[in-house]
Amino acid sequence: MTLKTETSSDSQIMPFTTTLTRRSFVKMGGALFVSLALPAGVRAQTAESQASLQTNQLNPTLLASWLEIRSDNTILMRTGRTETGTGMSGYYTQVIAEELSVRPETISLIMGDTDKTPDGGYSAGFLSGMANVRKVAAYTHQALLGLAATQLGVPVENLNVVDGLISGGGKSIRYGQLLEGQHLDLKIPVTGEFAKAAPGKWVGVDGLDGLTVMGDPPMRPLNQCKVMGTSFPVPGIPNKVTGKTQWSCDVTLPGMLHARMIRPATLGSTLISVGAVDKKQFPTAEIVKKGNLVAVVSPNEWEAISASRAVAAGTKWTDWAGLAGSENVTKTLRAYKWNTPSERRGKPADVTAALAKATKKISASYEQPYVRHAPIGPFVAVADVRSDGSVTVWTHSAQSQGLRARIAYMLGTTPEQVVVRWLDHSGQYGRTTFGGDGAESDAVILSQLTRKPVRVQWTLQEDMMWSSVSPAWVSDIQAGLDPSGHVTALHSLFYSPHMMDPRPIGALLAGMPCSASEPGGWIATEWVYDKIQDRLEDVYGMPNLGAETASGGLRGNIMRTPGQRQQNFALEGLINEAAAAANADPIQFRLDHTTDERLINILKATAKAAGWEPRSSPHSQARKTGSTPVNGRGVCVMLRENAYWVGIAEITVVPDTGVIHVSRFTIGGEPGKIINPRQFGLCMKSGVVMGLSEALKEEVTFDKSRVTSTNWDRYKILTMEEMPEIKIVPLSRNDKNFGGGSEGANAVCPPAVTAAFFDATGIQARRIPLSPAYVTTLLKG
Amino acid sequence: MASELTLTVNGAKQVVSAAPETPLIFVLRNELKLSGPRLGCGMAQCGSCSVLLDGEETRTCITPVSYAVGKQVTTIEGLPAVWAVEKKLSAANAAKTLHPVQQAWIDEQVPQCGYCQSGMMIAAVELLAKNPNPTIPQIKDAFTNKPPSPHLCRCGTYAAIIDAVQRAAKAMKA
Repeated sequence: MTLKTETSSDSQIMPFTTTLTRRSFVKMGGALFVSLALPAGVRAQTAESQASLQTNQLNPTLLASWLEIRSDNTILMRTGRTETGTGMSGYYTQVIAEELSVRPETISLIMGDTDKTPDGGYSAGFLSGMANVRKVAAYTHQALLGLAATQLGVPVENLNVVDGLISGGGKSIRYGQLLEGQHLDLKIPVTGEFAKAAPGKWVGVDGLDGLTVMGDPPMRPLNQCKVMGTSFPVPGIPNKVTGKTQWSCDVTLPGMLHARMIRPATLGSTLISVGAVDKKQFPTAEIVKKGNLVAVVSPNEWEAISASRAVAAGTKWTDWAGLAGSENVTKTLRAYKWNTPSERRGKPADVTAALAKATKKISASYEQPYVRHAPIGPFVAVADVRSDGSVTVWTHSAQSQGLRARIAYMLGTTPEQVVVRWLDHSGQYGRTTFGGDGAESDAVILSQLTRKPVRVQWTLQEDMMWSSVSPAWVSDIQAGLDPSGHVTALHSLFYSPHMMDPRPIGALLAGMPCSASEPGGWIATEWVYDKIQDRLEDVYGMPNLGAETASGGLRGNIMRTPGQRQQNFALEGLINEAAAAANADPIQFRLDHTTDERLINILKATAKAAGWEPRSSPHSQARKTGSTPVNGRGVCVMLRENAYWVGIAEITVVPDTGVIHVSRFTIGGEPGKIINPRQFGLCMKSGVVMGLSEALKEEVTFDKSRVTSTNWDRYKILTMEEMPEIKIVPLSRNDKNFGGGSEGANAVCPPAVTAAFFDATGIQARRIPLSPAYVTTLLKG
Repeated sequence: MASELTLTVNGAKQVVSAAPETPLIFVLRNELKLSGPRLGCGMAQCGSCSVLLDGEETRTCITPVSYAVGKQVTTIEGLPAVWAVEKKLSAANAAKTLHPVQQAWIDEQVPQCGYCQSGMMIAAVELLAKNPNPTIPQIKDAFTNKPPSPHLCRCGTYAAIIDAVQRAAKAMKA
């Protein structure tokens, strides 16, 4: 039996087809397996070559089905993407349920295991992941309708499905009944490639997007959704609450050793000699070393910890003092001889002409020090490198396929030899998006050397010194205004060290191959001010600070709402300055510079919720001295991944102490169709907490040799008491598809808070964090 | 040197072999296979490793296992039983009833990554035992200013935690 569903595509002449075939008859049960029709050039394993690999199941192209529908009406989805904490597992479930017309409770997910999931792709890339999953479910729905039409003798167009029950012409049948007694295969068209090392290119690994489903199967119109748009609970939460979740830190294997790493004394130190283990005190502890990678292992975790402290005390490293110190980071960036921009957008001649014609020009420089992802749980990983060269790694990385490619490259082997298994753990907020940074390379190297499974648990201090960071940046930005105060032209220049260096520190220190990325930056802003006609953006990149060292120095990496967090801060800061220069209300000023109806709607709705009264900044009562609080309010907007955001901060400042208290934050978000209203609201609120933390508190400090902000007393993040009242304004609409709703909220905090600071004091704050020390300095002028 | 220690964990006696100075977290996780308490900072600065010791929230990353001898150790795995005893639930009812704090954490969908949430729930149980009807400022105070450190959540779930604590408070009075 073969059933073809022809679909059209807007980009290709050839129609994409799915094929439905019967694999076998079975005595009990039955199922439909949905798998991939691999694109030309991507080699799937044949049954014969699979057989040779069945002992270790390491075949990357083994066609694990994407979706399985069983005769008992349960559904299993396998995706290489993972839950990053913001609710993706719930959204994927809802999307599948919607397109298949089943209850979401009947669906379970397998996520992130490279030997069990077929597609790869970014865990953070929810929109592309969802588009895939949605099409897979939609193709499957069509195939099932075709089967039902045959079975019931009713034309497809007369069939209707509710909760997995297909009805039409007075007859009905469940999905599961259709499959009873047989195994069917549905192949759906995909394109793309599997992740593989690409040294020197971009982030050093290609294929991180994973596979993409082709074609346009008929899908449920967004205004007819029954499951999307409801607050379906996120599947993993009950187990997290009751202690049943298996986290990556919980993995134990027979014969496993616990390891603690002994890191270099400074970011640039190399090893002179390793201290000794006192075998009387630590009978089971052993030192393991490769290059500058040093560790102590023991079957007992506490013995590994205690012995590693003793060994570290006796380990000698070379001196190194190649950094200028975090207090001089802006100076360092200013002194760098920037070459040509990594990216440029806009028309230079038009912007130059428009700026020359402007009646007034405003220019300002914005900046931010290094900040970091700072999860509550430091990196942890378990690796088992076996004598036949096969490797299994247990991880919480957000890029299983990318990590696999990097581990294979490090070992000089093929990805087929490496299996990555994903488990829940602490949030990563972007640092594992490219599949590098983490404890996995440490664990693999130690397992290879000891010939035993090894679990590597980083300490907080180690995590805060050796994981990658979101680099410091400066931005020079200039606007030209016409006589009415309208912005006619805008030129921004953004300078930053490398923002995409996810090389694993273990491999670097051990001197093993690392697939290097290409230093540079990228333009991350999306433009909402269509009435500003001329705009030019230049983004410059440079190598990491300390890049010449064996460790790679301060390895820059992306962090939540990457690039846009920083560049939008500068842009919105300047828009607020231009509004003040024009003596205009900052919300009205924005409305005057756009015709974008979506921005206008969410901006007005958020302003209304905040009780915003139109006036210009600063406030008539603004002052920069005194021991009593002074109030201010500020606004900013952002467009990111088809989602519109508005932030309105209300703050008090005590000028004499420099202490800022955010009393209320109103956040508006319109991401097209909201898939899960409750989870969207939770993400808005939690994003505000992270964003205010960055606006008020966060800064990675370092001296000439090492990072010094290595615990929670030195790298402070927002506490519960510091959280303001948070008001959310979610807007859902059915006519603009889906937008990125899980992250973005954090990025609207800093520009709104600095605008509120100006409103309260009349002083522009063009740097974050607004720590009491910095605020006091600013106000003293 | 390792010695044999008898602990009472989630109501059951457990004999473990460990050096007395071993931080309790490693014994709970590695010997007793409890994954509720999780290692965060290792220096009592974040709260992710918290358990109840005789009802007091305690950071297990700096507490020697020997200190727990003779005390009742409660992790999130043991919270349903605590509630069942308190409410004198039948065995059948106990088996399907979570502690109201856990139920509230599910109902309010509190966890994002969830790594810190075991410690957050432990702190909530302790707070509600001392103050059955906490106001929002009192909840903020308890999660921020009680020594040895604030309970930190990097995902930023504080607002959901406050809602869940208030929901649990209501449920516990019902």
